[in-house]
Amino acid sequence: MGMRTYIVKRVAIALAVLFIIASLNFVLFQVVAPIDYVSTIIDPNMTQEQRDMLRREFGLDQEYHIRYITYLKNMFTWNFGLSFANRMPVNRELGWRLPNSILLLGTAQIAIILIGIPLGILAGSRRGSKTDVSVIGSGLFAWGVPTFYIQLLFMLFFCYYLFIWFGWRVPVGNIMSWPPPENPILLIADIAWHLALPVLTLVVASFGGWALYVRNMIIDALTQDYIVTARAKGLKERTVLYRHAFRSTLPPIVTMIAMAVPGIVTGAMITEYIFSLPGIGQWYLSSLMAGDYPVVQAVLFIYAVLMIAANLISDLIYGILDPRIRVGMRR
Amino acid sequence: MSILSKDKRIIYSRKIKGFWEEYSRNKIGLVGLIGLLTFVFMALLAPWLTPYDPLQTTRLAEGFAMPEWVSIFPQYQDLPRTTENDVYWDLLNVSQGSMQLVDALPGRELEVQYNGASEFLKTDVYFTSPTYTYPYQPPYSFNFAFRMTAENVRDVRYNVEIFLISTTGAKWRIWPYRPWSQHVPAGEDKSLLVHSESSDYWLNVAVGLDAGVENLAEETFSEKGDYRLLLHMNFSPEADRASCKIIIEDTRFVIPGLLHGILGTDNVGGDILSQIIYGARISLAIGLLAAAVSTLLGILIGIMAGYMGGVVDEITMRIVDILLCLPVLPLLLALVFLFGKSVWYIVLLIAVFGWQGLSRLVRSLVLSLRETAFIECARASGASRFYIMTKHLVPNVLPVAFASMVLSVPGAILTEASLSFLGFGDPSSPTWGRMLQQAFGFGAFKALAWWWIIPPGLALTGLCLSFVFMGHAVDEVINPRLRMRR
Repeated sequence: MGMRTYIVKRVAIALAVLFIIASLNFVLFQVVAPIDYVSTIIDPNMTQEQRDMLRREFGLDQEYHIRYITYLKNMFTWNFGLSFANRMPVNRELGWRLPNSILLLGTAQIAIILIGIPLGILAGSRRGSKTDVSVIGSGLFAWGVPTFYIQLLFMLFFCYYLFIWFGWRVPVGNIMSWPPPENPILLIADIAWHLALPVLTLVVASFGGWALYVRNMIIDALTQDYIVTARAKGLKERTVLYRHAFRSTLPPIVTMIAMAVPGIVTGAMITEYIFSLPGIGQWYLSSLMAGDYPVVQAVLFIYAVLMIAANLISDLIYGILDPRIRVGMRR
Repeated sequence: MSILSKDKRIIYSRKIKGFWEEYSRNKIGLVGLIGLLTFVFMALLAPWLTPYDPLQTTRLAEGFAMPEWVSIFPQYQDLPRTTENDVYWDLLNVSQGSMQLVDALPGRELEVQYNGASEFLKTDVYFTSPTYTYPYQPPYSFNFAFRMTAENVRDVRYNVEIFLISTTGAKWRIWPYRPWSQHVPAGEDKSLLVHSESSDYWLNVAVGLDAGVENLAEETFSEKGDYRLLLHMNFSPEADRASCKIIIEDTRFVIPGLLHGILGTDNVGGDILSQIIYGARISLAIGLLAAAVSTLLGILIGIMAGYMGGVVDEITMRIVDILLCLPVLPLLLALVFLFGKSVWYIVLLIAVFGWQGLSRLVRSLVLSLRETAFIECARASGASRFYIMTKHLVPNVLPVAFASMVLSVPGAILTEASLSFLGFGDPSSPTWGRMLQQAFGFGAFKALAWWWIIPPGLALTGLCLSFVFMGHAVDEVINPRLRMRR
């Protein structure tokens, strides 16, 4: 199996997942438990004829299979319809909410990787030391503590107790102050200040798991024969660690990044809910509770796209990093 | 009759013994086991550990009452404790010359028989409660309740009032206070069940306080000291041979405390400790059940895929790939929203979305087992596929599956907690996630009610860590070389 087959296969799976999510959306929200689209946007006093006319116009009177095809076409062309809540195109609101979510998600993910991986390497190379023990501890902590619990505790401390004790205000509830500063540098600083607490909680909640994972991989790698060989060659310990041990752990770490995306996506959703950040996760929750199906469908679809993108990218990097796939051996 | 032959029983008991010997040497594993046993103990003995049913019992103390042990700090020492007085009425005074008209039976059930005539203009009867001591800071509120019955009322206008002689000595008329019930009409039988709160707007107005600014309970109990209740009855006969009988029963005067139990109270005065204890049941049940079902699915699908190979393998592994790409929590939320918030349904959903990792692992194990000699022998001696899968493959993947099951329990517990926290949990079951949701939604943060926010998460963490510890120990015992972490 060469690189090309590998890529084709991955892309095929990605498309299949998108297709399944879109279909699931259709089945769940339009066949199993539909809400009459027309009844949500029209004055209840309108006559039946007028309603029927509108229904015809929206194509709601057609057979399910025809609607299904139109629906799929709409989904894949990024046309998510009108929100029940404000009758605006879902696209428009998505346009400003999605960047917020991606900012939160991306910053947290990058910070977690940047903290977790070096810590893991450090702990792995000094097995049994205090660093190692604390990394193991924080890893187990990440397994057992729900992220939202850490966030609640941080919120209680930073947003309530700090204010009561010292009068410090830690911003919560938006992505920037209103009105936003004019100066672009100040604007960036403002956004960073607003995102600091949510990102911090996400990092605290999950860097330990990463560090533990990398530590175990490194320890495993350091016991391999090729490390003995490398050391016997007289290479520096640093080179052995980074060029030989860490290099061989990269492919599984990349997979791990992809596997972590679902956790981060859901984590970001709850984070947005707790800190009332105007991202798609918070939007999803409120729309779901209000029965605003077009939004729910759109966000589920976007989530799937995000996860698939992450998976696809990590698969491709995996393909590049793992020589067995690059050269075309059997996986 | 046992389903196992004698030999096999011996083999299995030896295996289990050996496993336990290895396991008991693992310190982390023992810590996990002890933790788990604690929670199991809590779950099983919940009704005996706590007298309160978490979903029904409220108003045990003031809302947001702190845990009792904070009184070791001097600033909380004098916070009010809940005082409940079942009032025993004592006859204090009957207006002069009316003694023969009134037949008064003091006690928990106070009974006054009045027989008057129009020449007696007014008869007053006074009762008093015992004197109670109030040694705390002012409370937020008090409430009182009693049942009043007036029977055989004939040609008499009667009036019943209750006063509170507060710790400062002032006299507050706390009942009746509603403008439209000042006077009970003459000659009317009546049965009243009174329950009044000191925060009642009309009560505050009636005693002349600025409702909303001043607090009646704080005014009446502004100092430490003694207080008592005073009951005043007044009879005005309107004809000869007037009579009536008034019964006052079950008088209860309660000052809800600002300190309660080991973990304080929530916003409606419910006991938090009992919610935590009962929460262990749901979390354990959901975690274990979901993990068991998903492990079962994982073993089945993994063995099928690994041993059958070919198209079955290809299809299941693609399904696994797809499942791994799905946004599970948002999808779970949508499914729960659409099809109902029952615990069993949530367990099923968590299990259905949780078998992929194990099935991959089992498949890879089976792929290597398939090539071993003993499977080949079995196949050569004519064993059917089903026989090989159930008799040879399942026992061999069972240890790994067991370790994986233990390690997948925390995931299931946390998923359920997340669902509950977001408001998509079973509303009829007291779970830790729901407690956090309520704390988040009902002002625990504004009230700085750390005793409501911290314990549920600690319980979740403790239970999950118990399983993580056990999982690691089991993992080490069963398979020292094979690390299986997600």
